[in-house]
Amino acid sequence: MNYIDIKSTEYPYLLLQIKDPPPRLYFKGDWDTTIFTETLSVVGSRRMTRYGEIITDNLVSSIAGAGITIVSGFMYGIDAQAHNAALEAGGRTIAVMPCGIEKIHPEYQLDLHTRILNNNGLVISEYPGDTPPALWTYPRRNRIIAGLAPILLVIEAGIKSGALITAKIAKRYNKKIFAVPGPLTSSVSIGTAILIKHGSQIVTGAGDILTEYGKTNPEELFSKKELYGVNANQKEILKILVDEPMGIDDIARSVGKQISEIGADITFLSLKNHLTLNGGKYYLVKEVKNVI
Amino acid sequence: MLFKVTSVSFSGLTTIRIDVEVNIADKGLPTFEIVGLPNKAVAESRERVRTALINSNLKFPLRRITVNLAPGDVPKYGAFYDLPIAVGILSEIKGFHIPESSIFFGELSLDGSLRHTKGALLAALFAKENRMDSIFVPEQSANEASVVKGIDVYPLKDLNQIIQYFDSKIEIKPTIYQSPVQEKQGTVDFDMSEVMGQEQAKRALEIAAAGGHNILMIGSPGSGKTMLARALPGIMPLLNEDESLEVTKIYSSAGNIPPGGSLIVTRPFRSPHHIISQAGLVGGGTHPQPGEISLAHRGVLFLDEFNEFPRSVIEALRQPIEDGKLTISRSLERVTYPSRFMLVAAANPCPCGYLNDETRKCTCTKREIIRYRKKLSGPILDRIDLHVDVPVVNIKKLSHGFSNSNKNETSSEIRIRIAKVRDIQKERFKNELIHTNSEMKNKLIRKYVRLDSNSTSMLMDAAKVFQLSARSYLKIIKLARTIADLEQMEDVEEKHIAEALQYRPGVIE
Repeated sequence: MNYIDIKSTEYPYLLLQIKDPPPRLYFKGDWDTTIFTETLSVVGSRRMTRYGEIITDNLVSSIAGAGITIVSGFMYGIDAQAHNAALEAGGRTIAVMPCGIEKIHPEYQLDLHTRILNNNGLVISEYPGDTPPALWTYPRRNRIIAGLAPILLVIEAGIKSGALITAKIAKRYNKKIFAVPGPLTSSVSIGTAILIKHGSQIVTGAGDILTEYGKTNPEELFSKKELYGVNANQKEILKILVDEPMGIDDIARSVGKQISEIGADITFLSLKNHLTLNGGKYYLVKEVKNVI
Repeated sequence: MLFKVTSVSFSGLTTIRIDVEVNIADKGLPTFEIVGLPNKAVAESRERVRTALINSNLKFPLRRITVNLAPGDVPKYGAFYDLPIAVGILSEIKGFHIPESSIFFGELSLDGSLRHTKGALLAALFAKENRMDSIFVPEQSANEASVVKGIDVYPLKDLNQIIQYFDSKIEIKPTIYQSPVQEKQGTVDFDMSEVMGQEQAKRALEIAAAGGHNILMIGSPGSGKTMLARALPGIMPLLNEDESLEVTKIYSSAGNIPPGGSLIVTRPFRSPHHIISQAGLVGGGTHPQPGEISLAHRGVLFLDEFNEFPRSVIEALRQPIEDGKLTISRSLERVTYPSRFMLVAAANPCPCGYLNDETRKCTCTKREIIRYRKKLSGPILDRIDLHVDVPVVNIKKLSHGFSNSNKNETSSEIRIRIAKVRDIQKERFKNELIHTNSEMKNKLIRKYVRLDSNSTSMLMDAAKVFQLSARSYLKIIKLARTIADLEQMEDVEEKHIAEALQYRPGVIE
């Protein structure tokens, strides 16, 4: 069984700073201490909204792309999205499990589990074998997440949520907390609003977090995407989508064209990767947004 | 004395000849027996016939009456042997001659009058195929039987009229077929122009109706899925002559033609509730009856709340969708009913129904949604050509930007376009066994859809980017064929493929 003892020199330094570090860390993957050099913990609601999904993708992909390891809790929702975004950006990520190291929880995320390990990531837990997760193991797990990074990023959180518990622990550990603002009408934005009210930093872009690590936002370095092969009609669609994402009926109505034509144009644009479909609405990809 | 009356028996849509032999013996105790494997409804004929005769002021002979339905080893079902049995007895009492080359068919009421009886069309068709002269049916079923040309259909009111007719005291004129009052498509619940917004969904339904493609609509409660589906019959072209007869035969055998009704000319629209049993949907019973899929033949089968249907019921649809017919095998009978229908399925996007909704928040967890989607997925989704998202319409957004006056087309305008596409397909497939683009299999796709290099490369790209399966790939090509037909284009072009890709399976997450 693979584990690192607290006495080992390879035990993560940051975790030694907390009050009750786990005596043993069981792990899967290759234990490479460089993974702990620059880390960011990301937590959020299981009930991820579309907004949360998009923000997670945007922020995490830039941050992980800059070489910072993303630490999260492998739960579905924001956690899984954060792991995913980190992997998509070619970064490394650490999943901290609330259950025995041999268990995958939730089970249907087996694919994500495999991808984390195949991309030089780590899956860790303080519990051996296939200990089942319990109500009390989640907050214990959260202290490891908070402990493993100097900064905690909270993306979406309800009033009574694991994410807020993690934030509380992080505060006790004197970690810096960043919270993503969201609409107050959304129940999973209330938690982050409360955090901001109580002094957490507000995030408006990946740059806010990257400067903490002494890095610049790579987003500014993005090459502007060339728009060749896009005709006037298609360009008009792109322009309309700059302000807000829309469903296809709304696009057709705004452009004033038949739905059959718009449908074909949207397919062209999707195939060229200028648009993404998310929750019934079309979004411009970042690179295109910079050009239009 | 022995009298022979000719009647029929049905097994599914096939009809066989039954000789009704009525023997009235002078010797023996008075009884009234029916032999020849009668079921309950046939056996009860005795009481109906006896009472009807007495109530018509006729004397029921108190002698030994034996009725044999030959051939004796075929089970008989239904109440329509009343008329042939009564005619047999009457010919003894009144001493008239029973015409040989005629079929008698009809159920008696206790007062001696004849009731509308199911299957009159099938009986008349049988008479024609066997070169018989005439058929005697209840008055209310005469319209239905008169669809068959070349035989005399005599409408009968009651027993006394029959006696007078055979005594040559009165004359009964054979019913002359009257083409059904073109039931205006006004019987449709909604007109497409009444549906606000939903341009994409309307377009998808137009394509589906034109090419006979199956379609799945996913959207929140109140987004208009049901309304759209109910408007669908209004844009479907009327049945052509052959189709009309096919459909009417099924309806006649199921007893779904109202008294006085005749040929069905509008496309059937069936929307069974999700508590339906498997036998109710695909047909069944020891004496197999057609199910909803056969009643939807050449029309639309609308399954609202598709997710709520039991898995086993949905899976039973697979074969009939592929083959266009279903054979129901029972120990005594093996019956084949046609079932070439267009499947229209509607479902909510998630258990609570409000996923991706702008106005209400979805309260489902990811796990719940995954479990819900699992019920939807599988082989049946693979047989649905169009997948379309039906979002809730924001009325405010609708009211501005309605400058385009041609936006809200009426159903009849759309129907004209669709009828043209159906004609194109009829011409295209005149040497094949199929009617619509959706029925094309690999070989026919290669034969009738020529793709230029641009289209092919777009499909290749799409297969990669949208992760299309091989089956989805073919479905896109079939859809593109219909879209090109809507523009009356000979060849499928890149833009048609592009539009077809809007309705790919993955478009709804």
